[in-house]
Amino acid sequence: MTQPVVASFGLRLVDGRRLDQPYRNALLPGEVLIDHVGQARLLPRYFYEIDSWAQARDTRLAPHFAVSEFIHTDVREAEPLRVFPRYIPCATALLAIALEQFRNEVGTHVFIGANGGYCSPRHTRLGGASPHSWGTAANIYRVGDTYLDNHEVIARYARIVAELLPTAWTRPLGPEDQWTDDHLHMDLGYVVSVPREAAGENHFAYPIALE
Amino acid sequence: MTSRARATHPVPPLHATSELHACFAELQTKAGARAMAVSIIDLETGAEFHCHADRWFHAASTIKVAILLGVFGAIVRGDLLPQSRVHVRNRFLSAVDATPFRVQLDRDANRDVHREVGRTLRVSELADAMITTSSNLATNLLLDIVGLDAVQHTLDAFALEGIELRRGVEDEKAFEHDINNRVTARGLASLLRLIGEERAFNVSASRQMLAILSAQQFNAGIPAGLPRGARVAHKTGDISTVAHDAGLVYLPGRTPYVLVVLTEWDASTQGRSSTLAAASQLAYRALVGDRA
Repeated sequence: MTQPVVASFGLRLVDGRRLDQPYRNALLPGEVLIDHVGQARLLPRYFYEIDSWAQARDTRLAPHFAVSEFIHTDVREAEPLRVFPRYIPCATALLAIALEQFRNEVGTHVFIGANGGYCSPRHTRLGGASPHSWGTAANIYRVGDTYLDNHEVIARYARIVAELLPTAWTRPLGPEDQWTDDHLHMDLGYVVSVPREAAGENHFAYPIALE
Repeated sequence: MTSRARATHPVPPLHATSELHACFAELQTKAGARAMAVSIIDLETGAEFHCHADRWFHAASTIKVAILLGVFGAIVRGDLLPQSRVHVRNRFLSAVDATPFRVQLDRDANRDVHREVGRTLRVSELADAMITTSSNLATNLLLDIVGLDAVQHTLDAFALEGIELRRGVEDEKAFEHDINNRVTARGLASLLRLIGEERAFNVSASRQMLAILSAQQFNAGIPAGLPRGARVAHKTGDISTVAHDAGLVYLPGRTPYVLVVLTEWDASTQGRSSTLAAASQLAYRALVGDRA
């Protein structure tokens, strides 16, 4: 059974390794995933649990970004995660802070596309490790009334990201695989966030003690 | 029945094959069409009439009936639910070399689906848009989700010949390389017969497909050649050089009949819809009209 710990902002913090099997199979908490260039990446273990769409809509990770904006997926998402409860990695909150800065800079609404927030490692569109499975990537398809559907517009907003968030990464523009031409992909990398309320790692698995 | 389509000469019955052939040939000549194929299957008597029914035509949007069958195949298999959400994204890969292409808004009869880019629509909403307003964007989204091979497998499972699905719609590079979806009148008629006889997977799935086809909003073809009270579950197809209509015609007190009319034209020739309507009227009168 899941042993929830109440996080300060209202969503339950859960240890993904203690979730029921169908969720563990979908989230692969704490497991290793290989990215498209062959690097091994350690998936997040701690998640926030969302019980309903109303809760997702009413819970903010940043002043202008509700949880609902990060969980809008489609039929390509793993089956258990298409219905509530849903889960987002804790680092999604860091992404929301970055997006809030971006929003402040552009001065208007920033829209994250479907399948453009958190996607589980089983999401069929990913095909390997992607920061989307860490909750640290966003596909922005629209800023205000402007659709990011051509290189000029995407490049303009990518420059803003680069100036504002120097450690963030934006996907190159172009038609090739792993490139983009109909949205701005920005991510913070493979960031894992472990809130203070989390139970922590099993010390038998990590026997290095500080002196 | 429209006054324009009202006949002045008796029309031979369905079994008078040669005479009926001559009627359709005359219609083709008068209209200036390059080619015309017709298939009629009376589901009440089992009688059939076929005119150039094995000639291949560019499918245009009639291929969407085959994709609809494939979508319901995925639903029946449990791969999809009607309420499953699909990301509306206008980016597809060409059948030629997998380079990306988009469905142009000004070449799509349905603008509503384009307004949802970035969000999601249900499979049922996309299926409805694909058929009733011939949304090209909805068509490619559904084909992406179901898979071209899965749709073709469904067609094969029903032993449906005369329908070749090779790509999504609006794939200009594929068109330039002559990679096109193709149909014959007999092939489309067999598919519509399957649905009309409620043998497409099961009665429920068949009726759902019929309901979608019955909500067709482009009615200048087959329906325009029929008397009031007729209901048509159908799909049109129209590009620069072809104009088609394929459907099931429901008349009061009668089991439906299948009618497929495929036509090919010079790009500048006018009068396509009225020709489809006139062919529909001929088929109607061959079956019931002159004896009603």
